[in-house]
Amino acid sequence: MKALVTGAANGLGRAMTDQLLDAGHEVWAVDRDTDALDALAIKSRGSCRVILADLANPSSVQRLMRDVKDVKFDLVILNAGISATGRFEEIPGAAYEKLIAINLTAPLVMASGLMRQDNMSSKSQMVFISSLSHAVGYPGASVYAATKDGLAIYAKSVRKPFKKRGVGVTAVFPGPIRTEHAERYSPKGSKANKRMLPEDMAKLVLKAAAKGKKELYAGKGAGAAKFFGKLAPNMMSKMMRKVIFDKLDSNTY
Amino acid sequence: MLKSRNILITGATDGLGFELAKAYASRGHRVVATGRQLLTNDLDFFGSPNIAYIRADQSEPEAAARAIAQAMEKFEWGSIDLAILNAATGWTGHPADETPEQIDHQIAINLTAPVLIAKAIAPLLFAAQGQLAMIGSTAANGQAQFATYAATKAGLEGFVRSLREEWRNKTHVQIIHPGPTRTKMHAKAGLKTGMVRMFFMSTKRAVRAIQRSIRNRDGKRVLSRAYGWSSIFSSAKEGEL
Ligand SMILES: NC(=O)c1ccc[n+]([C@@H]2O[C@H](COP(=O)([O-])OP(=O)(O)OC[C@H]3O[C@@H](n4cnc5c(N)ncnc54)[C@H](OP(=O)(O)O)[C@@H]3O)[C@@H](O)[C@H]2O)c1
Repeated sequence: MKALVTGAANGLGRAMTDQLLDAGHEVWAVDRDTDALDALAIKSRGSCRVILADLANPSSVQRLMRDVKDVKFDLVILNAGISATGRFEEIPGAAYEKLIAINLTAPLVMASGLMRQDNMSSKSQMVFISSLSHAVGYPGASVYAATKDGLAIYAKSVRKPFKKRGVGVTAVFPGPIRTEHAERYSPKGSKANKRMLPEDMAKLVLKAAAKGKKELYAGKGAGAAKFFGKLAPNMMSKMMRKVIFDKLDSNTY
Repeated sequence: MLKSRNILITGATDGLGFELAKAYASRGHRVVATGRQLLTNDLDFFGSPNIAYIRADQSEPEAAARAIAQAMEKFEWGSIDLAILNAATGWTGHPADETPEQIDHQIAINLTAPVLIAKAIAPLLFAAQGQLAMIGSTAANGQAQFATYAATKAGLEGFVRSLREEWRNKTHVQIIHPGPTRTKMHAKAGLKTGMVRMFFMSTKRAVRAIQRSIRNRDGKRVLSRAYGWSSIFSSAKEGEL
């Protein structure tokens, strides 16, 4: 099987890439972290093609699309993402532009481009990594929440038209994962053991993709968050404010 | 007499924004209207001395936010009572045919610009303990023929859901989702609506419904047919917007 993973060098993307490689698949690993990509290439002895790309930069995305022009993928995981946490009005505008470019524009451009370039094999799966914030809101990260809701609804929108061309779409809503990303953007002192290990999350995502599942809510508290988010969205946003926003003591972007 | 308020409306050269600007101005409020066009004569265009127009093309979000902030200084607005971020654009077709430029353009105008404008006017909104109303769309639930447009409107929804809690007691943040409305938007997006257009809500009714939802300080409001009809009988009481 041929797979493409964005944000493949670290965190959840890395865990998924490792598991795909271990299972004997070929992976096109996209990231901007050169050192981590090198390590991946060496470790995999050729079954991992690394692509250096900065998804915040449209011309870099275009180059990446040209690089993979002749490949037929069975699995594409649009996973790369960053965040910005703190008081909305205090974070620089440029940080928001970058956040939206990486989390929303890049995956949309890639998804439609891969379809247009006929990059997807006839029984393939495209996976969008959204966030559990889709169910509950995220005070202290309102623009991050915006990008993840946008991604979730894009996935839902393209599901039928992509399916007609043989491409299944999976939207994933992961709860907190124990990665550097989470450490960086969470309030200090929040408990790491409340977050799922990236390896465990990766297993669930790959399984959901293999089964062609439409949606996956995964991680600690994901089920409850989905349930109460639908039932009492205002209560959930208030709770999110208490557990996250009120405890953030600095802006991180 | 109603108290005169400061109201900012983006995308006010056509459709809902244009009618909203005129409706608020006719009740004596001061309106700053924005758009992408160069207008030679504001008074001729809007027909009201209460409406001042500034050009803020949201396809360049940072520049648009800056233009609005500068206009606020120029007009010496120390506060904004109500901001309606309404400007938007759409593209319709198979999602595989959407080019990077079309995707980027819609995200810039419909999502990045409102985010940066909200940030730019935050101090003025806080000064008035004001109200920020985002115009979304029922497409925010997902739309195969408008995939990126739907994503940008869902983005606004996620933004509002989070910011409303964050800005509690500082500024009321809400989202209003119109359904299909009889403006020129569909034609601009390349969609032929034909006979179904008959079933769309009239622009007039949608404008009344939006004003009512703003008065009610809803958190999230979908402009259903029933809400549209019943809004005809709703009007501002003294001291209300
Ligand atoms: N009509 C519907 O069925 C419908 C349904 C759901 C939601 N909505 C939402 O309602 C809002 C108003 O739409 P509408 O139906 O009134 O559409 P409209 O008649 O096309 O009005 C949109 C306004 O936004 C302006 N605009 C477009 N691009 C811009 C840019 N780059 N910078 C600044 N302003 C720009 C337009 O300017 P120009 O005059 O130069 O075009 C116009 O003034 C939008 O947010 C739309 O998404 C509409």
